[in-house]
Amino acid sequence: MEYLVSLAVLIGIYVILSSSFNLIIGFGGLISIAHPIFFALGAYTTGLLAIHCGIHPLLAVLAGGTVAFFASMMLSLPSLRISGDYLLITSIGFQLGLLEVIKHLSFTGGASGLGNIPNVVDGSSRSTVFAVVSCVVASAVVLIIRWLLTGPYGRVISAMRDDELAFSALGRNAMMIKLALFAIGSGFAGIAGGIYAYYYQYISPDQFEILQSAMLLTMVVVGGMGSHLGPVVGAVLLLLLPQAISFMNLPPSVMAPLQGVIFTTLVIIFLFWRPQGLIAPAQRQAQRKP
Amino acid sequence: MTALISLTNVCKSFGGIVVADHISIDIHGGEILGLIGPNGAGKTSLFNLISGLYPTDSGTISVSGKSLDGLPMYQRARLGVARTWQHMRLFESMSVLENMLVSPRDYPGEKISQIIFGAKQIKAIDQALHERALTILQRMNLTSIAQANVSDITFGQQKLVGLARALMNDGDCLLLDEPMAGVEGNAYDTMKGIVREEAAAGRAICVVEHNVSFIKDLCNSAVFMARGSILERGSVDTLLASKTLADLYFGV
Amino acid sequence: MIDLSILLQIVWTGLSASSYAVLFAVAFSLVLKVVKVWNFAQAGLMALSFYAMYALHALLGLPLLASVGLGVLITIAASVFMDRFGLQTLRNRLSPNLTFFIFTLVVSEFLAYLLAMIFGTEPVALTQSIMSGVNIINGIVISNWDIQALCITAVLLALLYLFIAKTRDGQFMAAVADNPELARFYGISVKRAYLVTFVISAILVTTGMYLFGTRASVIPNTPLQMMLFAVIATLLGDMGHIFGAALAAIALSLIQGLSIFVIPSQWQGLILYVFLFVTILFFPQGVNFKKFKQLTRTPKTA
Repeated sequence: MEYLVSLAVLIGIYVILSSSFNLIIGFGGLISIAHPIFFALGAYTTGLLAIHCGIHPLLAVLAGGTVAFFASMMLSLPSLRISGDYLLITSIGFQLGLLEVIKHLSFTGGASGLGNIPNVVDGSSRSTVFAVVSCVVASAVVLIIRWLLTGPYGRVISAMRDDELAFSALGRNAMMIKLALFAIGSGFAGIAGGIYAYYYQYISPDQFEILQSAMLLTMVVVGGMGSHLGPVVGAVLLLLLPQAISFMNLPPSVMAPLQGVIFTTLVIIFLFWRPQGLIAPAQRQAQRKP
Repeated sequence: MTALISLTNVCKSFGGIVVADHISIDIHGGEILGLIGPNGAGKTSLFNLISGLYPTDSGTISVSGKSLDGLPMYQRARLGVARTWQHMRLFESMSVLENMLVSPRDYPGEKISQIIFGAKQIKAIDQALHERALTILQRMNLTSIAQANVSDITFGQQKLVGLARALMNDGDCLLLDEPMAGVEGNAYDTMKGIVREEAAAGRAICVVEHNVSFIKDLCNSAVFMARGSILERGSVDTLLASKTLADLYFGV
Repeated sequence: MIDLSILLQIVWTGLSASSYAVLFAVAFSLVLKVVKVWNFAQAGLMALSFYAMYALHALLGLPLLASVGLGVLITIAASVFMDRFGLQTLRNRLSPNLTFFIFTLVVSEFLAYLLAMIFGTEPVALTQSIMSGVNIINGIVISNWDIQALCITAVLLALLYLFIAKTRDGQFMAAVADNPELARFYGISVKRAYLVTFVISAILVTTGMYLFGTRASVIPNTPLQMMLFAVIATLLGDMGHIFGAALAAIALSLIQGLSIFVIPSQWQGLILYVFLFVTILFFPQGVNFKKFKQLTRTPKTA
């Protein structure tokens, strides 16, 4: 039972991550895999604030989100000014580079991680509280994204995806829209990081490496890019998967890479067999121009 | 009267190819200027230079007296430069109406801050845009397809929608890139009528066209381009009667 | 005052270390230029080639040269398979850039995880001892490995140059790189050009991993880190200009080595990332940028 509750916490966190990643890559069409680094920035910011400043957890988590929000511009501004395709390369470099920095700074705990993040919920129902918070925030994020994308803004984004050139020639500032989507998505990831830090009370750089990127990519591709429920389904499915294979009682050294093999195989299968994912986007997609 | 669109000594080349060789053109409000010439003459490139797809190598382009130098595409549109494209470039996942709704010069619905804090304002503006769009569609007799997806309408209707989109800009300048190509019958007449009306309203219009009757019908004057330069300019009749130009156009 | 012999030593070491870096950069750059794909799957292929050679030589006891030879064949097979059944399907569907990227990246990750499952994550090297004989010339340590590495790299690059310049397939590759539609129009088989490109890339990659694996130890994730180097070199080398990428790889390698004079060793790992950012920020627009647009906007049909 306790186990299911802590799984619920994790599901909430990953729904936030996959939905916000979907906002960036599925709706915004921005090819970046650096999402985990904003997750990390949120987690570290919250963790450090919790340890050194003792401010209210809500503020600490929001601070985490804010740091991630603005940090994203360090990545998106220079890259997008040149070309959207550059974002891909720079996002990889940004993620790995920042992790490198975190590993070498002493106040972040370096490579061994940041521990002793104070507990903010006492008592036996700690996990339950976190599960509720996590899932409520997750629902809020999904609904906010959905609200954002219906109506005028959603229209604008569709037009931008359909034909950015004509879009710009009509007076729309594509760059600003992309920056905004990237920042909002990253901000949400930062909030997820804050919740993560408070729950596990220990974070380390290797929790935010490329494996995370692979997981998020899998959730979004398998769940369905460009739909609202897709990433939710993807997150739930992919978190239940390791639980499913843990019943096989394999040695841990095989378990971790096996998870990776399964994730990546799923992505490849879906890319070829059902590219729109499990939950296809409701809106009609523009035909690819040859 | 100052020209609404003014090009002065505009030059542009790509590698060894000169697409604009000291081009100077003035287009005044109410004028419909035809840009004619063989393929590869640099006509569409001129449109691209004005709308800001790429920068000029030298020379200036100004619209209503304001220089467009260094301005990105979207800012030029906001100054009132609207264009249509040879390949239409409609937003294919959206309906006719939606295509038009994202096309006005200023659209607060593209700013997140507005979405969050100015929701009521946006609603009102959206209402007004809806009405404006429907009015334009009415002029074109296209209100019946307002909700249809642009991929589902006829070619002629698509071309009209491209024009309608540009009209949402409501600016001083209209650049039409081969608006009549492939269009005939009712759509042709509708388009002709609309362009005339826009000119009468005081806009400066420049049209790239191969369709001779359209040019004869509509354009006050024309400019003949070949290989990046203006060879001749003047009234449409004179240009179309010139043998040398005809040779260049149809000849080897 | 910097000791000259230390300086020369670092330059020499950087130079010889650049050997495999050059091979990886050229391989990546070649695929980008001809096939017009950012081949992130190269990392996976690098890992595959290494572990294939490792399995054959260290585990099954085959002689080193035979292992390398078979490793090349295995890598070629994997590359060609990926192109024919993976990339080609995406091309036929006119898939967006995003899909190509996801596919190539995921292929690398899939291979990395698969190899981790099979071989574990303990660092292993191709040969029992990674120390080779050394010679000391003018106070600089020059190992036999260094000499072998530089010679092999030079020879391969020379062969590649001759191949592109003198053979029909090579010239077809250049034509396809320049303008695939036009090449097809002239009857050049674009698919064959892609095939040849991947074969060459596999050879370069396997050789590179042989060199690296006889000098250092490898874990399944190592190639992913090395890929960034290849990518930056390609960007610096004017995107797809393969010998430019080679030069950039050498330069980067030297800079990485020489940076020890300027920054503390713990921060050395960061150099690459800083370089990436600097490259992107100050990357000359104009001609180079247009080429990039050309390379990535060109439709991936074949």
